[in-house]
Amino acid sequence: MLTTKKSIENGTAVFALEGSLDTFTAPVLEEELKTVMDGLTDLTFDLAGLDYISSMGLRVILSTQKIMNKQGKMKVTNVCETVMEIFEITGFSDILTIDNGNLPDRT
Amino acid sequence: MNNSKRYRRSLAVSIIGNIVLLLVIIGLVVSILGVVLFTESFKKEYAVTTYHMADTATALINGDNLDAYLSGEKTEDYLLSKGYLDSYCDKMSVSLIYVIKVDRSDYGRFVSVFNSVNNEVDNTSYTAWELGHKRDTTNNEYRRKYEAIYSKESAYETVYRLKTTYGQHPHITTMVPVKNSAGDVTGILCMQRPSREITEARRPYLRSIALTTAALAIVASLVTLIYNRSQFIIPVQKIKDEATRFAKENTKGEDLGNISRIKELYELAGSIDTMETEMVTSIENLKNVTAEKERIGTELSLAQTIQENSIPNIFPPFPGRNDFDIYASMQAAREVGGDFYNFFFVDDDHLALVIGDVSGKGIPASLFMMVTNILITDRTNMGGTPGEILTYVNKKICEHNRADMFVTVWLGILELSTGKLIASNAGHEYPAIKRADGLFELLKDKHGFVIGSIEDIKYKDYELTLSPGDKLFVYTDGVREARDKDSELFGTKRMLEALNEAADVAPEEILRNVSRAVEGFVKEEEQFDDLTMLCIEYKGKGNGGNDD
Repeated sequence: MLTTKKSIENGTAVFALEGSLDTFTAPVLEEELKTVMDGLTDLTFDLAGLDYISSMGLRVILSTQKIMNKQGKMKVTNVCETVMEIFEITGFSDILTIDNGNLPDRT
Repeated sequence: MNNSKRYRRSLAVSIIGNIVLLLVIIGLVVSILGVVLFTESFKKEYAVTTYHMADTATALINGDNLDAYLSGEKTEDYLLSKGYLDSYCDKMSVSLIYVIKVDRSDYGRFVSVFNSVNNEVDNTSYTAWELGHKRDTTNNEYRRKYEAIYSKESAYETVYRLKTTYGQHPHITTMVPVKNSAGDVTGILCMQRPSREITEARRPYLRSIALTTAALAIVASLVTLIYNRSQFIIPVQKIKDEATRFAKENTKGEDLGNISRIKELYELAGSIDTMETEMVTSIENLKNVTAEKERIGTELSLAQTIQENSIPNIFPPFPGRNDFDIYASMQAAREVGGDFYNFFFVDDDHLALVIGDVSGKGIPASLFMMVTNILITDRTNMGGTPGEILTYVNKKICEHNRADMFVTVWLGILELSTGKLIASNAGHEYPAIKRADGLFELLKDKHGFVIGSIEDIKYKDYELTLSPGDKLFVYTDGVREARDKDSELFGTKRMLEALNEAADVAPEEILRNVSRAVEGFVKEEEQFDDLTMLCIEYKGKGNGGNDD
């Protein structure tokens, strides 16, 4: 299950994802993104509610990152521990702009 | 089944049965109503006729002289009247005519003045009363009626005895007043007339009703049967036969079409025709789909064989070598998958170990996996460190990757003579390592990005040394991310627990323990992701290398 809340304004978009971005939900998100990518210059994925991401989900994030590299900037915020671990293992943490500033300090 | 069968009868029989039953009921009701109405009107008519006859008879006697007759002798005048009445009684076919004078104090007694008897008309045996014969009034009905006549309440009264009572045949008795010249009632003339005509007239009437009803029943049954046969019974039979045939043969039969004028049957026939057409079409479709499925199934199972045999899958793979023990398993969620492991000798002293996981599942992932595995194997055999090899493979895959798929790979090259392991990790899971006297723990190695996405990545090597008895376990995310029915992940912690359950056993046992733990965790849930593991135990040069 994945719930997407999006707000788009003047080329700036925020996608708040909640649930699980996996084999079944990733294609849905991909379709949704396709319809708004045109002219987008600033994209934020708010992952506060995302508790799992599979390789299919990573693929969508990666494709989107590649498009945004050409037309603007993209960042990922509020990544939970489980998802962060996956980002780190796969090296995604090196290529994504991850901003966890809004999360409480976890030290 | 047997019970219900006993009560089944054919449509025709039940239709006719119902009609006949209905007509019998209607016939009975009509007959009873008819008889009652007929009897009533006949009685009325009979009474009126008898009244006229009795009234006429009063003209034959002189009402002024009744008292004189009773007190004196039979005068000539009396005898004359008596003679008239006798012959009237004969001619009119009535049983009795009697003229009486009733005691008006309580109408309980009377005296007979005239009495004519005709025993022939109704086969009776009356004896005529003599002049002055006294009698008590028969019953209260007579008493009441005598009073009504004397008080001029009614022009005549009738007593019905339509059933045979006290041995008397059915008859009616009509009473009319005998008046003197002043118009006073001086006596009552009673006329008893046989009433068998009423019952006799009723019989042919009843018979005609019964016959008519029977005739109607037959005609109605025939008409209904003929109509129902063509419009109902035969169409129902045809529909039944067609449905039975279709159930057996599953082929389109002749259209039932316009088989009945009855709307529901017409529509039912239409529905059967439509149903047959649609069923035949969907059976045809189903056949095609099944054939297509079989074809895909065959192709997939071939693809599976090809994929399974593209990696070493016979264990032990190097029976001659005692310096290491290796075991690996790959379990795809579908027929083919994107996971893979591999191991092979680069040269006599160097063993390459590979584990990889392509994003996604099924055929696309399996194609990607085959390409990656071949590229890695070929490039490794050309020499170089794992980092160099992965850098090259990434560059090659990026050149042709339009689908944005990627693959995570861990590649290690073990120098068997020294235990030195050089490895590189492209976005793959952390290996687990067990030192000879310790437990399995995660090796948080240096991670590069996944392969196939960003072209100019330079993958880094890292180095560690295995001592005899050390084990290395690599796996794909299908292990860590297996889920139970509540969607909880198996996780690294459970994986390490399973590994350490019996950390000292051989690699084959280690893998079996992890598999069992994962199965026990997910239980009935479908395997969601590919599940691939590889474990190597380094035994060291001291253990012989080649068997020499």
